[in-house]
Amino acid sequence: MNPRSRWLLGVLVALVLGWAQRADAHKESDAYLTLHTDPARPHVLHGQLDLALRDIAFVLDIDRNQDGALTWGEVKASRGMIERYGLAGIAIRGDGLACETHPTGQAIDEHNDGAYDVVFFDAVCDKEIPNRLTVAYTLFRDIDPYHRGIVTIHAGQRTTGAVLGPTTPNATLDLRTPDRWSQFKSFTVDGIWHIWTGPDHLLFILSLLLPAVLYRANSPEGLRVAAADPGIPRDTGWVPVPRLGRSMLELIKVISGFTVSHSATLTLSVLGYVDLPSRFVESGIALSILLAAANNVVPVVTRRAWVVAFAFGLIHGLGFASALAGLSLPPAAMAVSLGGFSLGVELGQESIVLPFLPLAFLMRRTRFYQVGVVRIGSMLIMAVAMLWFVQRAFDLTVPGTTYLTPG
Amino acid sequence: MAIRDRALPLIRFACMACVAIATAGHPARAADVRPYVPASDAVVLEHLPSLRDPRVRAFDQLRRQRASTPRDPKLAVELARAYLDYGRATGDARYLGRAQAVVAPLLAKQPPPIDALLVEATLLQSRHQFAESRRVLQALLLRDPDNTDGWLTLSAVALVQGDMATAQRACAHLLMQSDALVAAGCIAAKDTVTGHARAALQVLDAVLPQAEGAPAAERAWIHGLRADAARTLGHSIGADQAFRDALALTPGDNYLVADYADFLLDQDRAREALALTAGGAQSDTTFLRQVLAETALGLPQASKDAAAMAARFADLERRGDQRLYAREAARFALHVLHDPRQALQLAQADWAFQRAPEDARVFLDAALASGRAEAATPVLDFVAATALEDPAVRAAAKRATAQIAPPAGRAR
Repeated sequence: MNPRSRWLLGVLVALVLGWAQRADAHKESDAYLTLHTDPARPHVLHGQLDLALRDIAFVLDIDRNQDGALTWGEVKASRGMIERYGLAGIAIRGDGLACETHPTGQAIDEHNDGAYDVVFFDAVCDKEIPNRLTVAYTLFRDIDPYHRGIVTIHAGQRTTGAVLGPTTPNATLDLRTPDRWSQFKSFTVDGIWHIWTGPDHLLFILSLLLPAVLYRANSPEGLRVAAADPGIPRDTGWVPVPRLGRSMLELIKVISGFTVSHSATLTLSVLGYVDLPSRFVESGIALSILLAAANNVVPVVTRRAWVVAFAFGLIHGLGFASALAGLSLPPAAMAVSLGGFSLGVELGQESIVLPFLPLAFLMRRTRFYQVGVVRIGSMLIMAVAMLWFVQRAFDLTVPGTTYLTPG
Repeated sequence: MAIRDRALPLIRFACMACVAIATAGHPARAADVRPYVPASDAVVLEHLPSLRDPRVRAFDQLRRQRASTPRDPKLAVELARAYLDYGRATGDARYLGRAQAVVAPLLAKQPPPIDALLVEATLLQSRHQFAESRRVLQALLLRDPDNTDGWLTLSAVALVQGDMATAQRACAHLLMQSDALVAAGCIAAKDTVTGHARAALQVLDAVLPQAEGAPAAERAWIHGLRADAARTLGHSIGADQAFRDALALTPGDNYLVADYADFLLDQDRAREALALTAGGAQSDTTFLRQVLAETALGLPQASKDAAAMAARFADLERRGDQRLYAREAARFALHVLHDPRQALQLAQADWAFQRAPEDARVFLDAALASGRAEAATPVLDFVAATALEDPAVRAAAKRATAQIAPPAGRAR
């Protein structure tokens, strides 16, 4: 008999007798994932991931002294390792937007087939109050295709469950019937936050905004102002606008140009019609800030600032789209979400522009404003934008500048 | 469809388990586990497969070797076999999945290596996916018609499915190409369930001296087959001795323990069955026998352990594997939960893909207990067609036949 059948006979002790059809024992590997929504914190899900110690020990060296007896001390010492491994195997999304998982605690659970390590975690979603929650599960897939993830999601009164494995890796729960108005509101909030927490868009707006209360001294309007008031100093290259209305008009044109173009590219990108590499988009945004600020120092485009805003808005829209990457909703809900997000972006900008404008208008005659704020401020913005550009275009990290890097 | 139909009874198991727990006043577990923080660092939470076990050391070393040469197909097959052997012997089903993961890349090749196909067929068979296992074996034997292992496995799978003709054909191939021990074992296994148990026992006794030099696993195989043939013939003393001989060669083997325990239970030796199965790291199979023994003895811990068993079934159901364990679930429903109607439903689901004597028996018992002997007609037809001799099956079949053909027939 060849060695192969010697192996097989070991197996066949069971087989030929018809013993094979008997239940094979300890059930195969399962892990349990439970998610709870939190009414007090709508963008947070509280999670619990139960992983069998026997499964963990198969992939990670948690039995430190290799004696086969796994103690609480050993499990505790491996906490970080277990959390990284476990959380890397699950991806939670709210309306298609990724939720970030952060471990919050460790415990032990006894299931029918032994002790499990419990990874408590919070999933913080970009999207507040998502309508649809998706869980993608890939844990242990490479070491055991029969492993299953038993997923339970509790959302208020609703509960859903799914058994996930290689053939069905995703579970979806509609947390509530889509309510257009609340959906619109929640995306509007997201848009506002996106502007408030994204310094690059802010700096771009600011670069366009700084000279809105001034005319260039050698422009036709500037010459007219100088003619009306010959005593006015012109050595800074700027003269103040006579009326607030003028500035307002200029500003509205700039902001509207920006909004129209970024809304267009945002929509095209989220709907998948435009797809540029994020490195290109992100460095393009940095470049746009650099150029907009440079224009305040060395004027190139002296008229129709809104055209500049419109042109650069195209690339900023693609940047906004990254916040919604993966958004997947039915068409009507998609329109509502995109509309809400664009409005939010707009409101976010206005909330910065509107308080700034009167202040700038009051200070527009001072050297402090014309030189200190506009010239030096623009130079600082240029420096920051240059840094971002280098980082993003060449994928470099400039030491000591991480605090300047937009989230 | 059938799977969905089966879901309900098992959910009810779980509920009964809850009731059982609640009434018995035992701490709730299973569905309602609560995470806790152990009292001290020294608390031992789990016992892992020990490196003191030579089998564990063997696959541990293969796994290390494979990490450095991940593309070596021979090493992969060897590792998969080591996992599979260990999983089957201990009843730790996790190792089936681990073996599957190791052979999966080989199976994706065109054409897949013969050895990898054989592992795959054995894995599918271990998971009770008999039809799928057969497909793999047929593909394998088409490419390698002299593959001893392939024919042996095919005969085993066919036997489980009740396809006696294919089992016979596969054994015939072995007769032509391998040593007498393998062929004799193959034929004896088939003869035992087709009305020729006496011939089977004679053949096995005849090849016994030849098995002397063979590895322990092979000798245990022959002794196990002898035990089954003797049991079928009603030779309880001979069967008992053969079981002990087999277990002495492969101590603690999951299948042998379960089968010997079943034999002891049938012999009204529940106390011995309990001693055989209780304690240690337990597979579901062994644990079911323990619960059956406790129930038969009317022991106080029976209700608590029955609840734990029900929780294990609920776990299986939750992962969608309940169909694979329908026979065990049927026995549990019939003898522990005393719910013959559920047992019958489960036995019917089981009969759709498993036709060993035990499947026939639980089906007949459940049909009789629920007063629906006519439901067992497919089993009666099968028993008649295969001339199955198993005494317990025979007795149940006789009662069922009598109930279906009412006394009116006798009065004539």
